[in-house]
Amino acid sequence: MRIDRKAHLIFVLIVGLVFVAGCWDRREMDEIALVMASGVDITDDGQLELSVQIALPTAIPGTLQTGGTDKKPVQVISVKGRAGLEVFALLQQQLSRQLFLGHRAVIVFGEKFAKAGIDQALDVLIRMPDSRYNSYVLTSYGTTAKELLNAPYRMEVIPAIGMKNIEAAKYSVAVKVDEFISDLSTVGKMPVTGAARLFEDAAGDKTFQIDKAAVYRGNKLAGFLSGKYLKGYKLMSGQAKGMKIAVQVEPVREKTKGIVTVEILRAKTKVLTHWEKDTPRVTVSFEATSRALANESSLDLSKANHVRRLETELTDKLRETISDMIAKTQREYRSDILGFGREFHIQHAKEWKKLKGQWDELYPEIPVAVAAEMKIERIGRIQAPGPLSKEEVQ
Amino acid sequence: MKLTGLQVFWMIMVMDLGMTLVMTLAPAAQAAQQDIWISLLLAGLSILLITSVVTRVTLLHPEQDLIRFSQTILGKGLGRIVIVIYLVQWYTITPIVLRQFNDVLHVMINPTTPKLAIMLIMVALISYATYSGGIVTVARCSEILGPIILLMIFLVLVASINNVDIKNLLPVYADSGAAAIFKGALPPTSYLGHAVEYMMLAPFLHQPRKGAPYAYWAVGIASFAALIAMTMTIATIGPSLSTKLWYPFFEMTRKISLFGFIENLDPFTIVIWVASVFIKLAIYMFIMAYGTAEFLGIKKWRSLIWYIAPVVLGFALIPQNVSEATSNYLLNYWVPVALPVNMIGLPLLLLAVGKIKQARKA
Repeated sequence: MRIDRKAHLIFVLIVGLVFVAGCWDRREMDEIALVMASGVDITDDGQLELSVQIALPTAIPGTLQTGGTDKKPVQVISVKGRAGLEVFALLQQQLSRQLFLGHRAVIVFGEKFAKAGIDQALDVLIRMPDSRYNSYVLTSYGTTAKELLNAPYRMEVIPAIGMKNIEAAKYSVAVKVDEFISDLSTVGKMPVTGAARLFEDAAGDKTFQIDKAAVYRGNKLAGFLSGKYLKGYKLMSGQAKGMKIAVQVEPVREKTKGIVTVEILRAKTKVLTHWEKDTPRVTVSFEATSRALANESSLDLSKANHVRRLETELTDKLRETISDMIAKTQREYRSDILGFGREFHIQHAKEWKKLKGQWDELYPEIPVAVAAEMKIERIGRIQAPGPLSKEEVQ
Repeated sequence: MKLTGLQVFWMIMVMDLGMTLVMTLAPAAQAAQQDIWISLLLAGLSILLITSVVTRVTLLHPEQDLIRFSQTILGKGLGRIVIVIYLVQWYTITPIVLRQFNDVLHVMINPTTPKLAIMLIMVALISYATYSGGIVTVARCSEILGPIILLMIFLVLVASINNVDIKNLLPVYADSGAAAIFKGALPPTSYLGHAVEYMMLAPFLHQPRKGAPYAYWAVGIASFAALIAMTMTIATIGPSLSTKLWYPFFEMTRKISLFGFIENLDPFTIVIWVASVFIKLAIYMFIMAYGTAEFLGIKKWRSLIWYIAPVVLGFALIPQNVSEATSNYLLNYWVPVALPVNMIGLPLLLLAVGKIKQARKA
């Protein structure tokens, strides 16, 4: 009996060990090609062109090497083909190591490809087990995804990490794969991504910059927001904190430019939807507190009436920035990037059932009223403008 | 073989929680959308009702298990039919659970590992666990694994808090309606309904008469944890995307990103999954072997494991793909047949007939 039990035990252990040790899905570090970024483009004859930026083993920062080097740290390869995964297999043929998507930092949609519709690439984003949600989605502006992935970036060893860090700091719009897909699948909210372009830095080297936002209408790229429009979008999408806003509070004088710059400390946005006479209407309100950063005017900001004047100017400027941005998305892009439809769904669930199917067509026509309010909370370490004499200060 | 009340608590809780969380979220969300939390409240309530029926049935003949007391209560012929109905449930759910275990690992982490390898390890493990000490081994395992599973779920939920968007739960009720909410309550109810297995476990208790509170607490805590976890998943992923994914709870953990360096916590959920499937399958393995032996009058129930294990493995290889194993079985047998008959109808019948018989005797 005892021997019998021992035999069973040994049998079970052996069977277990055999399978535990021989894991079919094991991947050793020296057998995988770490994909840091991937990009999708469309060629002129309608084929998909997939590019991947692969970190070369020597370039992965160790303890001794953390800054940039002159050796090329990444390899970019690209292939053309019909469907997403088929192209992926073609990529694999060029490589001695297996492609590994777990550390992909960014996914770039080429501008042309995005304009034609991103359906083909989307499914691949989530269906494969090792693709994760932590990659940022970018759209290329004025160039292709391939060019963008080939652009060097001196600050980081791996350019894709540079893109990732820029995105993480939210200088432009930071959208990860999961948010992008979730926006795409929600009726009443259109997706937005950061947009990157190529530019020449002061030394004349080609590199990339992420300073725009790409607006999608459904699965197609509709256009880009930059400058004050991008600012307006960031104000409304919960990324207002830390944003600097400059306003002209008085005319230019001999010694002063009349500009005050403030930094937003806290911001609150509210979207109210109304249903009156069988038509939808939207009221948007934006409230923020800020601190004065730079005072290039002759106003003494320690005086209450001057602060009030500054607040009025700021409020006007904010309202204008936000309504201009909304007007642009309504007229030019016809894309509900602020999710008014979603708010309408929440606030008027019954009426939404009728509107749901036609929301995308209705959106450009909806009247939107914008209310803004800005409060100055702190004015910095100096009271009256420092460089001016007493007589020049108002 | 004797169990403590706490062991029974952990066994039922683990059996209920892990599988419900992973397997029923998507079907429930497909019906009830963002109102899944109402569905789960409903499911929790019905489970408590089922538990109250089940525990009362066991009190009629505290020293007997389902196989024996159904024959005592209903007589030999009818009692045997009832047993066959339950045996069908156990013999089909076990391969399905085994297959689902394999499918989750395939879909989420190990796409190229052969099915047989994953399932063979699990079958070997549960056979060993039940063979070595019967239900006592399984009970002790669940006493250790149960708290770990709860802790893992808790950690995953806490780490996901900053991803929650309450707006995903709005508007309440308007999109779904009563019928959809009821429909959404069915899959979780059927998975939480494993309290029925208490009928097989109760006689092993040191004090079978005092087992009921442990069963209540087990299903109560399991339902509550499932309620919180599923609501958070919907609030994190959003109702429109959750319905399209196979395992939204896993996807939620993939979204966790704390302080820029705590990321990709999917191993946590894999632990939750593997541990709860192990407990569940081991309990079923024991119930099948012990029940079949009792049913057929075989003295050495342990030797039946050698026959049941390959049968389970063989059945588990039958379904062609994920949807056959998960949706088809759930929507064509488990919800329309097992839930009303095995979990509600038969316990009620046993209770009614048993009570009448007792009243007549007295």
